[in-house]
Amino acid sequence: MAGGDGDRARAPKRHKSSAPSKAALVDESAEFDYADDFDDDAHDADKEVKKRDFTKLELKPDHANRPLWACADGRIFLETFSPLYKQAYDFLIAIAEPVCRPESMHEYNLTPHSLYAAVSVGLETSTIISVLSKLSKTKLPNEIIDFIHASTANYGKVKLVLKKNRYFVESPLPEVLKTLLKDEVISKARLAPEVDKNAGCVRNLSNFLQDSLGGPSFSISKTAREIVSGHEDLLNGMELAAATEDKETHSFEIDPSQVENVKQRCLPNALNFPMLEEYDFRNDTVNPDLDMELKPQARPRPYQEKSLSKMFGNGRARSGIIVLPCGAGKSLVGVSAACRIKKSCLCLATNAVSVDQWAFQFKLWSTIKDDHISRFTSDNKEKFKGMASVVVTTYNMVAFGGKRSEDSEKIIEEIRNREWGLLLMDEVHVVPAHMFRKVISITKSHCKLGLTATLVREDERITDLNFLIGPKLYEANWLDLVKGGFIANVQCAEVWCPMTKEFFAEYLKKENSKKKQVNSFLSFHYYVQAESLDNCISCQALYVMNPNKFRACQFLIKFHEEQRGDKIIVFADNLFALTQYAMKLRKPMIYGATSHAERTRILYQFKNSPEVNTIFLSKVGDNSIDIPEANVIIQISSHAGSRRQEAQRLGRILRAKGKHQDRMAGGKEEYNAFFYSLVSTDTQEMYYSTKRQQFLVDQGYSFKVITSLPPPQESNLMFNTLDEQLDLLGQVLNARDDMVGLEHLEMDADGKALLKARRSAGSMSAFSGAGGMVYMEYSTGKGKGAKKHKDPSKRHHLFKKRYQ
Amino acid sequence: MVNAIKGLFISCDIPMAQFIVNLNASMPASERFIVHMLDPTHMFVQPHVADFIRSKIAEFRDQNSYEKPQG
Repeated sequence: MAGGDGDRARAPKRHKSSAPSKAALVDESAEFDYADDFDDDAHDADKEVKKRDFTKLELKPDHANRPLWACADGRIFLETFSPLYKQAYDFLIAIAEPVCRPESMHEYNLTPHSLYAAVSVGLETSTIISVLSKLSKTKLPNEIIDFIHASTANYGKVKLVLKKNRYFVESPLPEVLKTLLKDEVISKARLAPEVDKNAGCVRNLSNFLQDSLGGPSFSISKTAREIVSGHEDLLNGMELAAATEDKETHSFEIDPSQVENVKQRCLPNALNFPMLEEYDFRNDTVNPDLDMELKPQARPRPYQEKSLSKMFGNGRARSGIIVLPCGAGKSLVGVSAACRIKKSCLCLATNAVSVDQWAFQFKLWSTIKDDHISRFTSDNKEKFKGMASVVVTTYNMVAFGGKRSEDSEKIIEEIRNREWGLLLMDEVHVVPAHMFRKVISITKSHCKLGLTATLVREDERITDLNFLIGPKLYEANWLDLVKGGFIANVQCAEVWCPMTKEFFAEYLKKENSKKKQVNSFLSFHYYVQAESLDNCISCQALYVMNPNKFRACQFLIKFHEEQRGDKIIVFADNLFALTQYAMKLRKPMIYGATSHAERTRILYQFKNSPEVNTIFLSKVGDNSIDIPEANVIIQISSHAGSRRQEAQRLGRILRAKGKHQDRMAGGKEEYNAFFYSLVSTDTQEMYYSTKRQQFLVDQGYSFKVITSLPPPQESNLMFNTLDEQLDLLGQVLNARDDMVGLEHLEMDADGKALLKARRSAGSMSAFSGAGGMVYMEYSTGKGKGAKKHKDPSKRHHLFKKRYQ
Repeated sequence: MVNAIKGLFISCDIPMAQFIVNLNASMPASERFIVHMLDPTHMFVQPHVADFIRSKIAEFRDQNSYEKPQG
């Protein structure tokens, strides 16, 4: 019974392949039947079917020429084979959130946030509706039209303005401000108005607008242009005039530390007055200009141009996030943005290595003078000179709360006091964590640009970015970039390694003892990852050290090194496994405690020496270490179900390689990069592995499953005999817990923090590469999934049968 | 004298065999069901446990497989 693994239920993953055929079927008749959609809650299934019955939708006579389906629940399906695909795609990416983008059929979702992003890049409500109805095969359902109206109506009524290092909430309509002030959070954040002596045009009308709230008063700035010309304080007037078209602007000042909360309250899901943050940098004469231009050889690619045009749509700079896959040239986008704004720019990266890389990118692509760019890291504190400059530093350096050295205290003070034209944030998906928020409240910037490859987190904090930074301005389609030859075409494979008898027996024993701790076996999934990892560290060691996996890894390294001459990165989160693998295979490795000098040396050898073709990396290698030479990744252990880590790791090999024409469709090399994930079957790892792949699957990647590695005839691999295997098992079992445990990474902090022991007792957050973040199994949206298996009656009917 | 016992012959892969062995070991002595372990992939068990083993294995696998939540 229950023989091999072939019958394992992996339905969701396979499902995507059926998308095109579904499309064809749907094309014939306008019937949308989602009964086959997987739903965890079986007893909801009937309701779901009803909710998703779109037979009523009226099909337009020329529907074949139109590329998309818009459903009443806000979901939009786009046919990528339509001749109008390109235009429709550009439009959809602006107004909707991409959910899943396989080859032939894309799914998008209209959300209040995505519409907020749409209006903020300059689309008007009427345009959105008319274009959408033009592209849709069916008549637009009224629900959608109402939804778009409701989501966009209030946009642009409130502005957040930074003036002379103080934040003001501005609106042409005093009623709106009153509504805002009725909110507790906002009224608390408000600073008492004071008479601004410098700006003569601002009158404090304290008696104005007395009402039940105890007399809130707004500063009213007369900014009509005719007044401005005759005014003494010309600059201030100009600035205000530029910021608004209205004759009168009402405003109140808010506490800089509360800006984030105020913004959050104004989002569509709360008060629904999303704040507009634009920076009119051309007319900003207060802050000094920085002399930098893009070098002529820097030619932004079409998608980079497009993302920049979203940011600078109307001549002003908008805050927001640009999502591009790793290796697609995010740095050039960042540098170009800085070159356009031409003001002081603070660039934040995740670690010292990427600080160096950013500084290098700035020098490479722009004409900035060497003394206008400075790096600020724990071992590299360059003073910045001049009125305007580019400063590259890490999140930790800015957010660090403890005592700083004298040098860095000075620099931090300088950073705090300066009004930054652009705050450039790399790997912005790590920002929501508590400590990174601090960064945003410390630094005052007119415009924030976030760059990331993976806008997913396992907690729900990704939506925080909407008020911390701004809406998503652009998101590239990975498959289109692959087709265009801009990023490498990666073959993803999941290698299934069966557990050996002895290892599996031990694994089951450990699981049993864990079961006793966690009283209910099934509730295991919902435990915050931190806990389950603690419980399961020894389990993890067992499936990571599975001899079959080791052999598969050794085989793959051999194959790629000898037969293809590839450069290989092996990732292992588990330190014990990392050292064991690296020592047994005699390969260099880098982990948290490896010194900066040694890292540089190993990376240099890897890049340049034909002898060193494989390196082992712990999770320090996940982000921002630029290793363009590598084209094979073998992943032997990973951080549980983190989709972000999977995508980031894939990103290490996405940088396009070889000649451009070879990479195009029909070129010489169909695949030029390989991503292997080694998974021990019948263990928790299978669960995590599928979950991790979800993000990439949504981007249209497919994972090939390889079951017979290494080939049975291969005999010169390690752990061939039972004795060797038992010996390894003994080592794993005897390894002390702290050896088997996970690596604790201290991210690059201020100098003083580094004086402490390197491997301090960090929290989960520290080693996940994003302080304060909690990994949690959760379902996107309603949190249905969180209770997934608790109640057997809610199980999907397909699974019910198994659970009598 | 020859002793005949009615039972169930199970053929499976190595890890699953271990799972069943483990399941057997976790039961109280009176309820243990494996009559004889023939080799690492075959065993002979009491006839009444087929459904029980099946459901346990299904449960075990379900835990190890991930379903995309529908948002």
